[in-house]
Amino acid sequence: MSASPRQPSDAAARAGFGTPEERARLKRRKRIGRAFQALTAIPVVLALALIVTLFVDVITDTVSWQVVEPEESGLTWSFAEGARLGGTWEHLVRLELEARGEEPATVLDDPEERRKFRLRNRVELLWWVDGRPFRWAVTNSRDDTVDDVGLFRGLRERHEILAGLEDGQQLRLNPWFDAAFFRKNASRTPMMAGLQNALIGTLWVIGLVILIALPIGVGTAVYLEEYAADNRLTRFIEVNIRNLAGVPSIVYGILGLYAFVRLMNLGPTVLAAALTLALLILPVVVIASREAIKAVPSTLRQASYGLGATKWQTVSRIVLPNAVAGIVTGVILAVARAIGETAPLLLVGAAAFIPRAPDGPLSTYTVIPIQIYSWVAENDREFAHVASAGILALLIVLILLYVAAFWMRRRFERSW
Amino acid sequence: MASQTVPEGHVTVRTDPVPAEEAVVALHDMSLWYGDFQALHEVSLTVPKNRVTALIGASGCGKSTLLRCVNRMNDLVPGVRVEGRLAYEGVDLYDGAVDPVEVRRRVGMVFQKPNPFPKSVYDNVAFGPRLHGYQGDMDALVEKSLKSAALWDEVQDKLRQSGLGLSGGQQQRLCIARAMATDPDVILMDEPTSALDPIATDRIEELIHEIKRDYTVIIVTHNMQQAGRVSDRTAFMHLGVLIEEGPTEQIFTNPQHEMTERYVSGRFG
Repeated sequence: MSASPRQPSDAAARAGFGTPEERARLKRRKRIGRAFQALTAIPVVLALALIVTLFVDVITDTVSWQVVEPEESGLTWSFAEGARLGGTWEHLVRLELEARGEEPATVLDDPEERRKFRLRNRVELLWWVDGRPFRWAVTNSRDDTVDDVGLFRGLRERHEILAGLEDGQQLRLNPWFDAAFFRKNASRTPMMAGLQNALIGTLWVIGLVILIALPIGVGTAVYLEEYAADNRLTRFIEVNIRNLAGVPSIVYGILGLYAFVRLMNLGPTVLAAALTLALLILPVVVIASREAIKAVPSTLRQASYGLGATKWQTVSRIVLPNAVAGIVTGVILAVARAIGETAPLLLVGAAAFIPRAPDGPLSTYTVIPIQIYSWVAENDREFAHVASAGILALLIVLILLYVAAFWMRRRFERSW
Repeated sequence: MASQTVPEGHVTVRTDPVPAEEAVVALHDMSLWYGDFQALHEVSLTVPKNRVTALIGASGCGKSTLLRCVNRMNDLVPGVRVEGRLAYEGVDLYDGAVDPVEVRRRVGMVFQKPNPFPKSVYDNVAFGPRLHGYQGDMDALVEKSLKSAALWDEVQDKLRQSGLGLSGGQQQRLCIARAMATDPDVILMDEPTSALDPIATDRIEELIHEIKRDYTVIIVTHNMQQAGRVSDRTAFMHLGVLIEEGPTEQIFTNPQHEMTERYVSGRFG
């Protein structure tokens, strides 16, 4: 059977097409392609490695071994011993007071005594203490920390440390990022420092930022995309909105200080901060919303007009519902930026320490990044752990926002 | 050959002109400019009631522009200027007192590419009536419109599903149902089958036959066979000028103008 021209012989098929020189050239071209492909992968690998390093470093830094000298009794109870359905706190305080030889009723039944006890003592579930896991303890705010050892060093040298403990000293594994961290406030004592007021402050500020920036930003985008005539003034405004998105945030801080804090006489309040941050993210919100509005196919608009819809009916029933995915994603990404802002808020008066959580737009406030900043600036070595816990909290808030953005995009996305 | 110029002062060749009492839409010397570019040159055309009128011609000849004049969709294009009169049941649609929004309710439109809204089938059809504050039985209206568009049997079980889930031909019939739901008198179709396969095209053409009992249809088409199959009258345009108009049979079998003859025989355009 002779090979037809359409079926090359085996030898020809193995060799492929073209002359040997052509084949060699093709090989070289492919090699160059593979080399560049590998080059483009390097930054991705680097970025991933850096992110992993960041998270591992922050998370391990939020846990440390501490040698403490409990001021009163220093007793701990096993998990089963301490936990009581509906009254663990009460139960543990009773055990502690009995161990100290006091009458529990005198403290627990007198509201004033009870309040004082609560202020000075906390009931904590300790991860690791004296070589045993999950122990309850009533810890005193005046516990004296003798030493603070990092997580990994503590693991390596645990036996030496345990052997070197003096009478009445305990070795505890302290997770700084625990539930109590969100119930404590700014404090001079690292053990007593927590994020509660800063977290509430951040939620207040960001909530107001969304309330202010969303309607103004989307309204501006709708006006510019759908209503504004295409003239010099419009183009001037457009160019400037793009430029404003690149202005350093501290400049907005100066503007906020002058316009809101001084001129409108708001003082160092949540509202002044929210207005300043809203100004900061407005250009981004406008740009993202315009892109989303632009992406709505003109055929849908035409169909709407063709049915006799007015301009506003078309905008509200066709354009905005179909642009909402892009708008929401843009707003959330802009808000994520605002959450991390420190510089403008330093100018408009975020306090490092506030005695009470903000309870309205006109309260004084602090926010998570400011709180982290003030912890990092502390001398005490243990504040590094507190700051790490704060950073971890900030990262988690940001991750939650990004997840929300992703979910909303999936939820609202339309295909056409 | 396509860029062959039209002689200055060309007078439209008309065969069997439509009597005035049958007219629903009548254009008188309509000229239209996009900025400096003149897209229509003094076009006069009478569209008879309950008939299908086809606009044919090479790409860029202004037939879509002419179609969009009838429901004032051209108003949406920045820099458009219109001269002339467009009488719709005696009213000049380009009179300053006429609101284009009101015009578009009476003159429905179906576009080249099926463009259902990303909403349910039901909401697509109900969109127009809701815009105008329809107070009657919406379910009945939706059913009636879908039946008129020969789509009811296929979608009655999926009224709540997205209109985008339908096939291309079903989407286009959904768009026709949507246009009919606002109860227009005239339906404009801008190459309604150019994005569809032959079977879907066939169904749309059948549908056009059906609906002309109740509606006046003006259709732009590139497909000469389609014009021959669906229309009663045909108008041939070239470079913004209406060259010839008359009964479809006449245009295709015995065109009076040499340009029309060359176009319909496929030797030009």
